[in-house]
Amino acid sequence: MMLQSVFTGTAVLILVPILTLILGVIIGYFAQQSGFCSIGGMRDLFLFKQTRLFFGYLALIASAFVSYFIFSLIIGTAFPNFYWAAEKGFFTPIPGAPGGLENWAYIILAIIGGFGMGLLGVMLGGCPLRQIVMGFEGNVKSLFFILGMMVGAVLFHLFIASWVVSLF
Amino acid sequence: MEDESKSKNLIKMVRSPIFLGVIIGFLAALLQSLLYSAGGPEAYGFCVACHTRDMVDDLINSIFGTSLVVAPFSAAAFAPALSIIGVMIGALIAAKNNKEFRIKKANFKGALLYFLGGIFVLIFALLLGGCPYRAALRFAYGDMLAFIGILAIALGVFVGTRIVLFQMKKQIEEEAK
Repeated sequence: MMLQSVFTGTAVLILVPILTLILGVIIGYFAQQSGFCSIGGMRDLFLFKQTRLFFGYLALIASAFVSYFIFSLIIGTAFPNFYWAAEKGFFTPIPGAPGGLENWAYIILAIIGGFGMGLLGVMLGGCPLRQIVMGFEGNVKSLFFILGMMVGAVLFHLFIASWVVSLF
Repeated sequence: MEDESKSKNLIKMVRSPIFLGVIIGFLAALLQSLLYSAGGPEAYGFCVACHTRDMVDDLINSIFGTSLVVAPFSAAAFAPALSIIGVMIGALIAAKNNKEFRIKKANFKGALLYFLGGIFVLIFALLLGGCPYRAALRFAYGDMLAFIGILAIALGVFVGTRIVLFQMKKQIEEEAK
């Protein structure tokens, strides 16, 4: 309850860039040190039966679930729809993908998006986070990957999102 | 002696993926509890694809006056989510501190391939509604669609490893000839 009254109004609007920046620095530092990679974890599991990175990804899911559960008890207003599927229905996505489609369309998009990301991630040697880390370890190819992601973000909302919505 | 084993344990922890996984999950939930009143969305504490999108599209919107889609809390705040800049800074500090910074040059073909790869990976990620990390957060938040996404990523990775294995076999056979 205390926290809620502190972080409201303009204070939060200033904190968005600051807190996300700090979060990024922490994740970037430890990601460089551990070689953290979600797609790399699955790849090592399938290719070499190695679980080191894969357990990192599982730990992320488990830790997020426990943390959401605990924080939602303390500050319920910040977690209005935890546990999402029980609140909103089994296949309603949390906003993020193109809006206003039927549930079955989101299932197809999730399968296409996930499959494409996994396939390209393996071919190029890492998930988006790992590419950023490799880029700033001095890998020039990965720097071009980051540049590509930035261009892709613009292209997606200029052309692709509306094109995808028109398909369904 | 005790100090030495302590510092060894610390290094082990810092280099452990499980440790970072736990940190990301915890901080993502903490961030949501602090920042949700800025407009959400939920399970959005950390996402490489979406936060890149927020940063770039918000910048382009403010320069060219366009109205590209940006997450509500990035649009409302004075500046969008900057976690991607943070990751760059953090990774650079870590690499420099531990003398692991090495320039690996790229030829034109490699650079172009990775540039196009970046474009497509971001498009695929936004179709799913997040990179693998946000998919993990969404799944933990109870979004079953994200679980389908994670399974699809695993399938994509599996097919990818088969292709990589096939290419390696071909290469070895060619070299043997």
